[in-house]
Amino acid sequence: MKTRSTIAMIGLLAAGMTVTSAAADKPLLLRNGNIITVSGETLAGGDVLIRDGKIAAVGKGLSAPGAATIDLAGRWVMPGIIDSHSHIALEGDVNEMGDLITSEVDVRDIINPNDLNIYYALTGGVTSVHTMHGSANPIAGRGIVLKLRWGGSAEDLIFKGAPVTSKWALGENPKQSNFSAPGKPRYPKSRMGVEASIRLEFEKAREYRRKWREYERALDAGRARKGRRPSPMPPKKDLRLEGILEILDGKIWVRCHAYQSEEMLSIMRLCKEYGVKLACFEHALEGYRIAEELARDGVAISTFADFWGYKWEAYNTMPHNAALAAGKGVLVALNSDDAERMRHLFNDAAKTVRFGGMPEIEAIKTLTINPARIMGIDKWVGTIEPGKDADLAVFSRNPLDPFTVCQMTIVDGKVLFDRDGYLADRKKAEEAGKAKDAEKKAPKGETPGGEV
Amino acid sequence: MKKTIFIIGLTLFILAVSLIGRDAAPVYLIRNATIVPVSGPPIENGSLLIENGRIKALGREIAVPDGAEVIDASGQFVYPGFIDAYTHYGLAEIAAISSTVDAREIGKENPEVRAAWAINPFSVHFGTGRTTGTTTALVAPSGGTFPGISALVKMDGWSLPEMAVSEAATSLINFPMTPRPSGEGVAAPKESSEDVTSKIVDKIKDYLGEARRYLQLKALISGNPGVEAPDYNAKYEALAPVLDGSLPVILSVEKTKDIELAIKFVRDQKIKAIFRGCAQGFKVADKIKASGIPVIIDSLYRGPSEPEDGYDAPYRNVVELAKAGVTICFSSGDDPSAGKDLTYHAAKAVAFGLDRDEAIRALTVNPAKVFGVDARLGSLEPGKDADLFIAAGDPLDARTDIKVLFINGRKVDMSNWWERQYEKWSARPGKDRP
Repeated sequence: MKTRSTIAMIGLLAAGMTVTSAAADKPLLLRNGNIITVSGETLAGGDVLIRDGKIAAVGKGLSAPGAATIDLAGRWVMPGIIDSHSHIALEGDVNEMGDLITSEVDVRDIINPNDLNIYYALTGGVTSVHTMHGSANPIAGRGIVLKLRWGGSAEDLIFKGAPVTSKWALGENPKQSNFSAPGKPRYPKSRMGVEASIRLEFEKAREYRRKWREYERALDAGRARKGRRPSPMPPKKDLRLEGILEILDGKIWVRCHAYQSEEMLSIMRLCKEYGVKLACFEHALEGYRIAEELARDGVAISTFADFWGYKWEAYNTMPHNAALAAGKGVLVALNSDDAERMRHLFNDAAKTVRFGGMPEIEAIKTLTINPARIMGIDKWVGTIEPGKDADLAVFSRNPLDPFTVCQMTIVDGKVLFDRDGYLADRKKAEEAGKAKDAEKKAPKGETPGGEV
Repeated sequence: MKKTIFIIGLTLFILAVSLIGRDAAPVYLIRNATIVPVSGPPIENGSLLIENGRIKALGREIAVPDGAEVIDASGQFVYPGFIDAYTHYGLAEIAAISSTVDAREIGKENPEVRAAWAINPFSVHFGTGRTTGTTTALVAPSGGTFPGISALVKMDGWSLPEMAVSEAATSLINFPMTPRPSGEGVAAPKESSEDVTSKIVDKIKDYLGEARRYLQLKALISGNPGVEAPDYNAKYEALAPVLDGSLPVILSVEKTKDIELAIKFVRDQKIKAIFRGCAQGFKVADKIKASGIPVIIDSLYRGPSEPEDGYDAPYRNVVELAKAGVTICFSSGDDPSAGKDLTYHAAKAVAFGLDRDEAIRALTVNPAKVFGVDARLGSLEPGKDADLFIAAGDPLDARTDIKVLFINGRKVDMSNWWERQYEKWSARPGKDRP
């Protein structure tokens, strides 16, 4: 079903896309807009020059001979929106629910470049996403950062250089408070059990490493004795524990789904004990209660603007969460966790201005440079600066204005969504449809011209 | 005799209490504001007088009555309180915890159950929902084919009877939705899905038919003591005002085919209907307009009904319905924790082309008319309930603060679940804990 409609939609959009990709070969100059650079001042009447998919220059009165030019006529440009918590562009179920720990699985294996939600995300100015495993497991599979190069292959979507992540989950989901996986009730059923299961897995992984080290030592010793004794048996390879070792060695970044403040504090202590680098708490609706600790330990939060109240652990919160935590020094991103809400993120940011008094530019940062830092991609995206990827979202008004509309979304310098083009195509399609209907209704047997 | 004295005493007591209550109702004069009556053009530098729970007067110059509390609203805006046309306020606290949810009865046919019997006036969601200027909400039961009877309630009050504008505002029927085609590469089973829909509609018709026969039989035998009356049937009794057209029915419909089927159904059954949803309404906007049926718009946090409708179909839908002249109302939808999104939906529709004034009407006078309470609610006019708020800017802007809100002429405490937590945790000392 998804694939079928996607094909239809790709067909619908094909015209617009070919035009823009042809244009992408030569420089593209966006002129006369309000440029929210995020890294510096917002430029009224500013220009952005794009060359080879990168931002070549930002300023006023830029000129570039031979460049394709788009007159923004006062529209607003911000860095492409980055959704740091998503499950789009993945094929099938994202929860490996049967087992408790699933550190061996990887969403990279199920990237679906035809997911229509990629296109919907572009219609809301989103250009990069962190897409990941679900929250059914205390330690789940690996997540990945994608650049929404709609029309490209699974491989094309991968954001090269972005750190791989490990999805963890605390609270109601891993303890299955509000649902049950088929089969027997599964341990854990309490927050105590959730933490215990993470601790246990760390110990298993350490033991596993010890065994491998012993084996390697025995192997070395055997070689030293010139093979007079039989070779030692290697331990059994365990991909799950190999995955845990990647976490313990800090090779992948931990993104931990959690709502309640006390379980977050507890897991922060656990991570310190094992030397694990915790990048970010996902949702963290009670993050505001432990803002001091989060700021001190450099743990970010990726939260909702005001989506709340749907379960117990999401009840003790408020839309001031983002602003209050950010005000106390926590790195805060707003995320969607939902294919639909994803394209409303710029509207979400406006809510933090009212609730908690977040300055407008800080609200913009929660969608751009902040998630970029949380995802380890701030070298390439998150601001409008020369040298960075040309990932941009163009809006009819200030992105925080209630009546703003995303007009254009540019990824690597290519216009992948263009509302004006969409409206023109739609009009054409509707007129064609009407003509077809009229043809059907027209009496048969009368051939225009009549000379046959 | 004793009884009579008691009754006289009681009457005097009630009268006294109500007089005390009336005396206690403060008089407010809001001044220097831009007053947006909705029923007429905005009044710059205007004043509005609240007395006895009602709007006493509004205009350019109003003298300060003795004892009135004067509110200077310079640079601010006064709007009639917004009406949320479909919610579960007070029927659901935390969706995932069943003991806090009373929105749905078991089984398919429950036309007799009333939201008014179960609404919790102290749900935190009333408080958080008021932050966007909502003063009245339709609280509807959900689920099954006949979910029950909705209540129209004020967003503040000490008890449900005190909050209720109407304890029986509408009945509801969940119309079947034509199933979306499923299965990759498989031709859509269009024929069979149509049949399923029609069959369910036939069942609804049969049920209403039985209710009608029951009521006819009862009418027929009244005054004929020789004939045995049918057993009392609460469900059929509850449908009597639906069948005689005195109680409107909210019909949830989504797809074009369902809408067309529903228009015919409403005509055939001679019921007074209100549509809810109508995701593909833009494709048959003229037909909806011709039917005279108003539409309650559902949450706009949703994608197109079918991908072919285009990415912006939910917003375009609102715009096209309004353009065709259909009376539209906004609603926050199924979860009261999303009650605060009411104005967001309106703003989103405006962004995509809905006239802003029409958006404001869809939050005020339109729902007031649709629910038959426009004599009391929906606009700022002398004699109407003093349900209104003062906004620092455009109430459709998520950045706008709304700090003063009146319901029945009472200044409502705008502190709520969120604000109380914010206050507490903002004040947390900065020193580290272990």
